[in-house]
Amino acid sequence: MPGELDGAVTVVTAAQTGIGRGLALAVSGAGACVALLGDPEALAPAVAEIEARDGRAVAIDVSFGTRDDVRQAFDEAADELGGPVTGVVHTWMPPEAFERGPLEQVDDDRWNAVWEGAMQAALFVLQAGYAPMRAAGHGRFVFVTPTIALSGAEQLVPYTAAVEGQRVLAKSAARQWGPDGITVNCVAPAPELVPVGVDSMVVSLAPPALGRAGDAETDLGAVVVSLLGERGAFLTGLTLCADGGVWMAP
Amino acid sequence: MTDGHGRPLAGRTAVVTGAGQGVGRGIALALAARGANVVVAARRAETGEPVAEEIRARGDEAVCIVTDVTERDAVAACVDATVARYGGLEIMVHNAYQGSTRHRVEELDVDLWRTNSRTAVWGSFYCAQLAFPHLRAAGRRGRLILLTSPAGVEGSVFIPAYGAVKGAQRAIAKSLSREWGPFGITVNCIAPVAETPALAVAFESNPVLRERVEQRTSLRRIGDAEPDIGGVAAFLAGDDAAYVTGQTVVCDGGSFMGL
Repeated sequence: MPGELDGAVTVVTAAQTGIGRGLALAVSGAGACVALLGDPEALAPAVAEIEARDGRAVAIDVSFGTRDDVRQAFDEAADELGGPVTGVVHTWMPPEAFERGPLEQVDDDRWNAVWEGAMQAALFVLQAGYAPMRAAGHGRFVFVTPTIALSGAEQLVPYTAAVEGQRVLAKSAARQWGPDGITVNCVAPAPELVPVGVDSMVVSLAPPALGRAGDAETDLGAVVVSLLGERGAFLTGLTLCADGGVWMAP
Repeated sequence: MTDGHGRPLAGRTAVVTGAGQGVGRGIALALAARGANVVVAARRAETGEPVAEEIRARGDEAVCIVTDVTERDAVAACVDATVARYGGLEIMVHNAYQGSTRHRVEELDVDLWRTNSRTAVWGSFYCAQLAFPHLRAAGRRGRLILLTSPAGVEGSVFIPAYGAVKGAQRAIAKSLSREWGPFGITVNCIAPVAETPALAVAFESNPVLRERVEQRTSLRRIGDAEPDIGGVAAFLAGDDAAYVTGQTVVCDGGSFMGL
C-alpha cells in the first residue's frame, strides 16, 4: 500500500538486479527512503529508477567483507536519509554462490567465498541493524532465502548451505531480539527468480498453483512490504514461501 | 561382540568423527556392534584411543585415527589410512563440533563464529568431498550421515551460531542426496538429544534446563547415546535404509515435532 512505510529508512542489499532491485522498488513505492548497499556504479540505474518515480534513494559503497565496513554503511545511510535504519532487506549473496558444479570440484577458496562470504555478510548486516533498531524500539529484518535451499539441489551445495545457514541465523536473531521490538523473517521466492538456472520442478513435481513463479517487485514486494510495516508487528522467525504455491510445507 | 543386532554391517567400514565422546562415541560403539570396522576419528588421542579400546574389548573392530576435521589434509589422511587398513570406506559419519559457548547475535565475533563454522560446516565439506570417491565405489552401500540438531530447524536462543551451522548441514545433506543419488549413495542427518559432556555443561550452567528439557520430551528422559542415537545411525548406515535419503531423523525422545 502506498505510504505504508512512510519515511522509514530501509536498507536493501544487492539491489542492482533481480530480486534486490524489485524489492527496492517495492519498498520505495510504499514510501520508505531506501539505502542501496553495494557497488554504487552498478546501483546507479536502480537509484535513477526510484528517483524517476519520485522516491528517495542513495547508493552506499560496501563490500560486506567486515563488520566495520557494514556498520559504516548503515551510519552513512542514516546520515544521508535523515533517520536511523529501522528496516533491512537482505538479498546479497557472493557472486560465486550462483555458479553450479559438483561438490568434488569445489575447492577451499570457492567454499570460503560462498559459505563464509554469505554467512559473515548476513551476520554483519544483522549486527549493524541491531543497534539503531534497538535504540528506536522497533525494527524489521527480511532475508531472502529461495525455496531451492529448502528442497536441496544438485550442484548447488555451497549455495544451499549458505541460504539455510542464513535462514536459521535469522530465526535465532528473531528469538533473541523479540523483546527489543525487532522482527526477523525470511521470504522464500521460487528458483526461477535466482540466477542458478533451475526451475520450480526441482522443488516439487507440481507446477506453481498460481501458474507463475512470481515477479520480484509486485509479488514478492507485497509480502516484504507487509513484513516491514505495522502489519508485520506480530510475525517473527517465519519463512514465507512466496513462490506461487509450490513449496507447501508445513 | 554384542548380541541381539546380528552383524548387518559386517564387511563395511565407517569413519565417525568426534567419536571420542558423547554422541560420536555412541554411534561408533553401535556401528561396531553391528559388525562394521570403525575408525574412531578424534581430535585427541586421549579421548579417541579409549573408545577404540572399548570397542575392541567387546570383540569388535576399531582403530583410533587422530583427525582434526577443520584441516583438509587431516581428513584426507584419515580417509587414506582408513582405506589402506580396511580396503574401503562405505560409511562416513560427521559428528564433530565445537563452539557451543552461549552468545548473542549482536556480540558474536568472527572467532567464535569460525569455531562453529569450521567444525560443523567445513568439516562436513571435507568429510563429504574426501570420502566421495570411496562412497561412489561402494555404490548402494555408500552412506554420508551428518549430525545436526533441532536447533538447525528452529534456531537457538542461546547459541545462534550453532543453529546456523546445523541448519546449513541439513541443506548440505539435501543437496548432496540429489547430487549423489544416481550413484546409490544416501545422505541423511540425525538430530539427536542425548546425555553428552556438552549437554552436561549446558545443564550445569543453566540448572532449570534439564527439568525443562525432560518435561518437554514425550518419553521424559534424555537419550542414551549408544542405544538411542547409535541404533538410528546403524539403521541409516545399513541396507534397510537404502531408500531413505535427504532426510533429518530427529532422535530426541519426542520433543521437537516441526518436520
